[in-house]
Amino acid sequence: MSRRFTLAIFLRTTLAAVALGAVGLVYGFPLYWLFVTSLKSKAELFASSVHLVPHNPTFAAYSSVLIERGFWVLLKNSVIVCFSTVVVTLVLGLLITYPITRLPVPPRLRVNILIWALSLRFLPPIAVVIPYFAIVRTLQIYDQPIALIGIYSLFNLPFAIWMLKGFLEEIPLELEDAALVDGASRWIAFWRVLLPLAAPGVMAAGIIVFTFAWSEFLFALILTATPNSQTFPVGVQGLVTQFEIIWNDMAASGVIAMALPLVLMVIGRKYIVAGLTFGVIREK
Amino acid sequence: MLLLPALGAVFVIVTIPFVLVAIQSISADDGTLVGLRNYSRAIANPLLYEAIRATGVYSLIVLPIEILFGLGFALLVHRTVRPQGLRAAIYILAILPLVVPPVAIGVVARLVYAPSYGVLNVILERTGFIHQEVNWLGDPNLAMLAVASVDIWQWTPFVYLVLFSGLQTVPKESVEAAQLDGADWWAQFRYIDLFYLRPLFLLIIFFRLADVLRVFDHVFILTGGGPGTTTQLLSLYLYRVEFKYFDSGQAAALAVLVLVSFSILYRLISRALPLERT
Repeated sequence: MSRRFTLAIFLRTTLAAVALGAVGLVYGFPLYWLFVTSLKSKAELFASSVHLVPHNPTFAAYSSVLIERGFWVLLKNSVIVCFSTVVVTLVLGLLITYPITRLPVPPRLRVNILIWALSLRFLPPIAVVIPYFAIVRTLQIYDQPIALIGIYSLFNLPFAIWMLKGFLEEIPLELEDAALVDGASRWIAFWRVLLPLAAPGVMAAGIIVFTFAWSEFLFALILTATPNSQTFPVGVQGLVTQFEIIWNDMAASGVIAMALPLVLMVIGRKYIVAGLTFGVIREK
Repeated sequence: MLLLPALGAVFVIVTIPFVLVAIQSISADDGTLVGLRNYSRAIANPLLYEAIRATGVYSLIVLPIEILFGLGFALLVHRTVRPQGLRAAIYILAILPLVVPPVAIGVVARLVYAPSYGVLNVILERTGFIHQEVNWLGDPNLAMLAVASVDIWQWTPFVYLVLFSGLQTVPKESVEAAQLDGADWWAQFRYIDLFYLRPLFLLIIFFRLADVLRVFDHVFILTGGGPGTTTQLLSLYLYRVEFKYFDSGQAAALAVLVLVSFSILYRLISRALPLERT
């Protein structure tokens, strides 16, 4: 009995280890290949056989991408666009979620706002970008960062609304009421009492919006034309679809594009699943 | 009231594009109204049906596999991985693919599948499985699989995370009671776990479908819709009509058609969603 039991446990552990290992390989190896390729020199790429381990690792591809190709400008654009998007989205998100969680609004209005926000999640960007492109040209903001900031804020607003609603709801109304009774205005109560309490949640929402904006490609591809406003993913794309692909440069650009979201996620890890599911799944 | 200005502004901004695209869809390039001519051209174009077919095939490959793999892995970790540290590590590793730009993942896929430098061919050749390069991105069927594999790679972890957190809500008592009654793992899954996971499947299908139907980035990077039009999904097709053929009338008509059919789809699915509505 007990021997069969240990055998079963042994088999189960082995099976689990094999499965985990296989999954690790499927995820690890392509990323390893990306990184290794980014460390190769041009000469090594022309070697007659493909090296699975780089012989003379070098960071040449990174400087080639960032400096010689001038991609640091695109990186800067990305940071500006994403940061502005975060600010606009959070301000709009708070303007909408504060009343529906704090003020006596008709429940139907509240539900309708939330459902409307959710429906925006189902909106296909390509169908929106066609009219938005016309608007952008009429307003003469084509190839300007502001065009991207506008549309990114709009597309991230549903996430922000649902996430902020979740965070604001968790803060007891009594705390603000106490401040209001003491004679504080609504604004002071919001600024001094509610916002500090909601800060971790607002931060988390900001981080998630930042990573989404960072990843965005379709709008950036269509609404930008020059390094004046092109974001980093557009630059990456330029390296990929060239006639002759420079593998190490392309890989280096991929690594750079991945780096920032990965770092941010270490901070925002507790909230990402909540964000992606509009707050349905909460990590404890 | 405080709510109205912000909400009103957002609402107007969101609505303007829809009005514009509707107008554009019944106009010629010079602005004269042409009635439904753009629509009839859009519907008569066989490329539209190829795009719909490609999108359908893509969804039918990607969604079931992601859900099955995600479920399998969630059960595996839930049942066999006990150390909290290891669970936390798997959690962090699983969220990483979700936040990486699809463009960068397209780059990775290119490095895996491309001819000559693609590492998949290199490994298959060195281990003796193949003796001639497989043209992953040039063969119509393989290209679709390659493109789908990227989606599966990136989004199976999402399914895993949702289902795994669902499994944590299964009360220990019911599991223990079932085990005392001699339920094997399948019975436990079938009669206990599945009961708690069921609402989450709808949620997953909703969010995944919303994303799968808008897929653009990694396909654009990996195959650009080719070979031929075999991986030209709906969003790539609309992109091509507007920005490669410069046929804005037809593109606008397509956009309206897509918006209408998506909102119908949204209505159908969202009613069943387990979102809190209060």
